[in-house]
Amino acid sequence: MSQKRPKVLMLGWEFPPIINGGLGVACHDLSQAMTSMASITMVIPKTSTGFQMDNMQLIGLNMLDAASKKNAFTDKAATPGFERFTIDADLNPYSANISEEPFSMEKLRQRQKDIGADTRFDLDTLYGGDVISKVVQYAARVAELAKDMDFDIIHAHDWMTMLAGIFIKEASGKPLVIHIHSLEYDRSGIAAGWVYELEKHGMEMADLLMPVSHYTADVIARYYGISKKKMAVIHNGTSIVKPFKKSAPYAEKTVLFVGRLTRQKGPTHFLDIASAVLAQHKDVRFVMAGVGDYFSSIIEKSANDKLGNRFHMTGFLNTNRLRDLFAISDVYCMPSLSEPFGLSAVEAAQFSIPCVISKQSGVAEVLPGSLKFDFWDTRKAADYIINLLRDPVFAQKVSADAVLNLNQISWPIAASKIIDAYRDFSLLN
Amino acid sequence: MSSVCFYFQVHQPYRLRTYSFFDIGNQHDYLDEKKNEEIMHKVADKCYLRTNLLMLELIRKHQGKFRIAYSISGMALEQFEQYRPDVLASFIELAETGCVEFLAETHAHSLSFIYSRKEFKRQVNKHAALIKRYFNQTPRVFRNTELIFNNDLANYLESMGYDGVLSEGVDRHLDARSPDFVYQAPGASKIKCLLKNYRLSDDIAFRFSDKGWSHYPLTADTFKDWIHARAGSGEVVNLFMDYETFGEHQWEDSGIFEFLKHLPEAVLSHPDFSFNTPTEVLKLYPSRGVYDVHEFTSWADTERDLSAWLSNPMQQEASRRIYSMESQVHQTGDPEILKIWERLLTSDHFYYMCTKFWNDGDVHKYFSPYDSPYDAYMYFMNVYSDFEQTVKLLNTFKQREEQAASLQAESSKVDRKRVFPNYARAISTSTAALVS
Repeated sequence: MSQKRPKVLMLGWEFPPIINGGLGVACHDLSQAMTSMASITMVIPKTSTGFQMDNMQLIGLNMLDAASKKNAFTDKAATPGFERFTIDADLNPYSANISEEPFSMEKLRQRQKDIGADTRFDLDTLYGGDVISKVVQYAARVAELAKDMDFDIIHAHDWMTMLAGIFIKEASGKPLVIHIHSLEYDRSGIAAGWVYELEKHGMEMADLLMPVSHYTADVIARYYGISKKKMAVIHNGTSIVKPFKKSAPYAEKTVLFVGRLTRQKGPTHFLDIASAVLAQHKDVRFVMAGVGDYFSSIIEKSANDKLGNRFHMTGFLNTNRLRDLFAISDVYCMPSLSEPFGLSAVEAAQFSIPCVISKQSGVAEVLPGSLKFDFWDTRKAADYIINLLRDPVFAQKVSADAVLNLNQISWPIAASKIIDAYRDFSLLN
Repeated sequence: MSSVCFYFQVHQPYRLRTYSFFDIGNQHDYLDEKKNEEIMHKVADKCYLRTNLLMLELIRKHQGKFRIAYSISGMALEQFEQYRPDVLASFIELAETGCVEFLAETHAHSLSFIYSRKEFKRQVNKHAALIKRYFNQTPRVFRNTELIFNNDLANYLESMGYDGVLSEGVDRHLDARSPDFVYQAPGASKIKCLLKNYRLSDDIAFRFSDKGWSHYPLTADTFKDWIHARAGSGEVVNLFMDYETFGEHQWEDSGIFEFLKHLPEAVLSHPDFSFNTPTEVLKLYPSRGVYDVHEFTSWADTERDLSAWLSNPMQQEASRRIYSMESQVHQTGDPEILKIWERLLTSDHFYYMCTKFWNDGDVHKYFSPYDSPYDAYMYFMNVYSDFEQTVKLLNTFKQREEQAASLQAESSKVDRKRVFPNYARAISTSTAALVS
């Protein structure tokens, strides 16, 4: 078994500061933790100057053009550091519009050839609009770059980078690992469509899959037909935050929801839970932090249910504002329909907030002490919340258990599990 | 003999800040003072001062033959005092000509008639007192917010002693009759209705600068022909519009001021036509029929109903909540609280929450200080949350003070204390606890 540092070519898409999804945070924190055990080269679509990171080569495609690519790789000074990736709202690949063309690898290969070796990566058209083109462009460009690179293993994150992973594996013969943070099945609720097909093909081509939870491993096995034998579950870690408490600006207690307001996150279920709780327990306010395509319908429904004085939408919040919200909250509720992990629940637990979370989530595995319900069983969630609000001893017990659970997970633990898995699956030869 | 009756609406709401969830309990200034001041200066310079001066010139020139009416909301009056007293002074100067009538409306330019008769009456009386104070007139004719009207309103105003009420002339209620007569609501014995001629009014207010309109550009000469053509088929042409039409909605370069400058002379060139204010019209002409309106109508949007303010759940929830505070607000007895509450009742806040995104959506968007109707609701409800808490706290304190006072009174009664020594001590400790 080789004990030298593995050279990992990481393919990423988004980075902090991002509020509307856990992928950016996870990618950033995970790769940082891995640098003590591996040499990491991370390629992402876009970087900007000003944010440096140690022990890692970070390449933003926007910083390169075809003519100077070799310089960029060999000359350290010309390499932009590990940099902050600024992301626009319409840039989020998880709410992108996918055209309804049928999935075809042949077509994608042809498009890769059309793009060719010397095409400048066109950032202006990277986000919004035709996501498939962007994914193909990214794949073609990275595959071209990879020809001149020295690496042992390809580690791709989610569907946007899978095609690049496939191209590089085919050209280099190096093993392909795909880290699964989120699946099309989670987002759309159906096992079909262009992204689903790409995911399925990518995961079939991969040598090893790393789902972020057993829940996701089950989804992959059930809906993508892939054997669990080539999966290693890697639970996410947590970033170290200093929890603090604040008193709420009102007398009532606070039940918090954090997340993109999309179907997957169950925002309408949260509203139903709020109605059910308020029917029995008046002294509570429900706060929903986040934006998404359900924003307007949730606001209208909350008004229609006459909850205007007890249901608050904050809109978009940055990390600090979000922490202020955790600091005043009494219960965290995550009613996701299908949640591969659910980092925000971990963050809530770090703030010693008792969590009421959907069983259809990965985070339920790492927070065994939290209160769990099937996402459709809003009645049960409401009962849990009422009990937590009325019984401080119960609430204290639930949050104390969660803090204990948190000791079991961290990014260094996740990183070393990844390196172990590379070896266990004999990918480093 | 026919009359042309001009009435201009002058109103500016107090716009709210983009008041976030995190402001609740921390920030208690709800108003966007900067924006309110900016808009007031802009409209004062582009419209109010400019048009008032022109009106004054026209009144003087025509020696009493050019006569007009205004309704100025309490919100506009308060903002004139606060930001542009010169505008208020120019309205007072107009009032002193004796050719200008000031109408009654709800102080807060509110929907109060729909939610609370008691609050409606209070606001109307408050506004009338202001009109008396500034312009030395006691209003005899009422116009409701955005001409919201129905039979009940007419009858209620009659009971309050008003002679007349303004309304949109809504086709579906006119039944092919002309709006150019004085009408009466069913059940009313004294109060009469003046109906807006929306075709001619909107020719000025909306279509004037529309280059796609077949009559563009509209001249005073053409317009006077349309009015004169009504000789014999009507008794009064009611031209009701926002005052901001002049210079704000229709910009100066559209020629709107030139149009206005020449209109009185053109209209008066026909010997049978005169300008009269609403009260004069009511004296000149009898009611010619019953104008029967059960539903609420208004001059807003194509529907001419309440849908601009109350058609979606956000508008209904926000207005229901804020009106539900009526008794608590009065219970505080605090004039500042009352002032803020009135500013939150202004109908514009609910107008900004409108989600009708066809034709009229554009108009709503033009006037809204927010990015979307959802934002408007979000900020309003955040403000509501803070305001509700403030009022609740004030009332709690007040209650405690009253309790403390009654304990004090009790403690001054000596008999019980003399017999039960602990009684005196109990009173003094609980009084101390209450006031702390």
